[in-house]
Amino acid sequence: MHRKLLVATIAAGALLLAGCSSSTDETATETATETVAEETAVEEEVVAEDAAAAVTADDSNCAAPENYCIGLVTDTGKVDDKSFNQAAWEGTLLAAEKLGAFTKYVETTDPKDYANNISQFATKNYDTIVTVGFLMAEATTAAAAEFPNVNFIGVDQFQGAPIPNVAGLVFAEDKAGYAAGYLAGLMTKTNKIGTALGTDTVPPVKLFGEGFKKGALDANPEAEVTLVYHEPNNAFNDPEWGAAESRKQLDQGADIIFAAGGNTGNGGLIEIAKDPGAGTTVFCIGVDIDQYFTVPQAQKCLLTSAEKKLVAGTEELVLLSADGALPSGNFFGQTGIAPFHDTEAAVPADVQAKLAEILEGLQAGTIDTGCPACLDN
Amino acid sequence: MSVTDPSKTDLGFSDPDPQRGGPLGRLPSIVLPIASVLIAFAVGGLLIWLQGVNPFYAYWVMFSTALGTPEGLLRVMEKSTPLILTGLAVTVGLRAGLFNIGAQGQLLAGAIGAAWAGYAFTMPLAFHIPFAMAFGMLCGAAWASIAGVLRAYRSVSEVITTIMLNSIAIALVDYLASKPFKEPDQPISRTPEIAETAALPNFGAIPTGFVLAILVALFFGWFLMRTTSGFRFNTVGLNSNAARYAGISVKRTIILAMAVSGALAGLGGAIETLGVTGRFEPAFNAGLGFDGITIALLARANPIAAIPAAILVGTLRSGAAALQFETGIEPEVVDVILALTLLFVAAPIVGRFLFRKRNIKTTRVTSGWGS
Repeated sequence: MHRKLLVATIAAGALLLAGCSSSTDETATETATETVAEETAVEEEVVAEDAAAAVTADDSNCAAPENYCIGLVTDTGKVDDKSFNQAAWEGTLLAAEKLGAFTKYVETTDPKDYANNISQFATKNYDTIVTVGFLMAEATTAAAAEFPNVNFIGVDQFQGAPIPNVAGLVFAEDKAGYAAGYLAGLMTKTNKIGTALGTDTVPPVKLFGEGFKKGALDANPEAEVTLVYHEPNNAFNDPEWGAAESRKQLDQGADIIFAAGGNTGNGGLIEIAKDPGAGTTVFCIGVDIDQYFTVPQAQKCLLTSAEKKLVAGTEELVLLSADGALPSGNFFGQTGIAPFHDTEAAVPADVQAKLAEILEGLQAGTIDTGCPACLDN
Repeated sequence: MSVTDPSKTDLGFSDPDPQRGGPLGRLPSIVLPIASVLIAFAVGGLLIWLQGVNPFYAYWVMFSTALGTPEGLLRVMEKSTPLILTGLAVTVGLRAGLFNIGAQGQLLAGAIGAAWAGYAFTMPLAFHIPFAMAFGMLCGAAWASIAGVLRAYRSVSEVITTIMLNSIAIALVDYLASKPFKEPDQPISRTPEIAETAALPNFGAIPTGFVLAILVALFFGWFLMRTTSGFRFNTVGLNSNAARYAGISVKRTIILAMAVSGALAGLGGAIETLGVTGRFEPAFNAGLGFDGITIALLARANPIAAIPAAILVGTLRSGAAALQFETGIEPEVVDVILALTLLFVAAPIVGRFLFRKRNIKTTRVTSGWGS
């Protein structure tokens, strides 16, 4: 019978472990204090910098015209996730600072709470509500119909049919892909550039891929760029495929690989970082946000990430919304590439200079990425 | 303790040997759970206070928004429903001497099973709801039976197998939702929406599933305390050797208890799909089965006590978002409170083990889970 209890004790231990792994963002108490402290700091800064402008101190009276309130609902995850949630929150904070607005966030712990979390802000007469991530698109659309006087900003939410009080923050992925591809074209020594991509049935992924290929070929017509897409099913959650595909292309002589597509791409990045040449002769390129922070295991090989500028895009949309000029439908945020970090030394100065020029051209729209026409091939 | 008293419900959760006394020996069984909850709230309150928020205000916000508004109440009922059922699932297992850690996997099996039965068939409402629900229960029962059969015939610890089956279930439902059962033409892995004929309606402001869960809990209260089958469960749980000697088929009872346990968790998942979410998506249902363990231990394996225990957990989970909205305290403080509650209700069991090891050499006729 003692053995039985021992099993029970072990089970209780296992239980605690299971409890921990079931919610992966267990930084709760520690960061909570930090976040609160940071928030207060930001608010104080606003007061200090812009004493003349009216600063909305709390959300007790958001309905009053002189008070401006901005709410943010995260997708399941924390505002310090180093990914979409954090970027959207940083952008919101920047906008709130300029507006003298009050802002706060609610972190979703259960996807079933999306609607409730959004309506908490709406029923308190918040003026603008930011919702993060395409999984929240349906809940955002529903809330926009229920609260027609509130402006909604859907980060990474493509708008099929425009709704007057919703702006979807989306990006021209082909431009980010083009810049990353151009860099790869300049950097490759073997003239072989690989990719491991999510499915081409999802337009943003195809735009990333085709833009990347065009960029690489424009920089280096000698280069051979292989575009490899995952099959549509489970396209973004197959790290083993991403790793195997990357490994195969490295073995075939590719020295730079663009691994893009959620966990599938991350699997590729991590595999490439294990290569003995990682960071010197072999490089990887991430996607969406600066993956130096989201996939630290890949830091060694990570040249850059084809980046959607979420912080700037969110800030701009919130400011437009406060101005009464919310652009309904899709709003294209800026794109670019993330800092080199550990691989900075490997990128020659003339490459960096050329790249800056390309980024400027993409921004100005003077460079043809071949897209969106590329979607038709 | 006598094995002939089927109404005896404490099963080693309170002191199994009243003559001995001991630190908690003479306290009624309700004291420990309530004290555990209160201490957990006190520690949680301390954490809240350390972040510069008045804990009384924080708790008031949580409970008043969860219980004080019609929408809040609806959410509490919706959130409590699967928790009552997973709590019951763990309870039934404990009664038969089985520690089912796999309620999460069984619930997932039931949730995706009900989703498939809900969208892939066309039939009238009167048949569709019971069919989808029964299919979900069947999926949960089948999943749990793997552990039950292994335990009965190969003596493989159900603690280990159910933990491992959880991981397998997660991978399996991910696969099903992203391949064979996937809703076509959109990027998210999820099943199509269930047919209208399969959607569980609300009784006015009360979800049907909530009523159903309470009825099931009451049924199991009666079943475990007043029926022959329930008596077999209890006897096997208290002392499988005595049960075998008395002519009870221990193997069959173990398999049956595990299947019933899985069916209950599966029903929780099925109601969640048919009554709340309308489809299966892998991100849904996280943690419901694990909360069931806390609930069953808090309720000391009493099916009826699982109702208030589940409602308490449901209220905390429901109030967590309002807590952050009003005070900035992160919703994870609820996880801390629940983990501490579990720790405190489980601690005396461990304590008793250490205590007995040193001092007591009495011969006992029975042994329950954790004794």
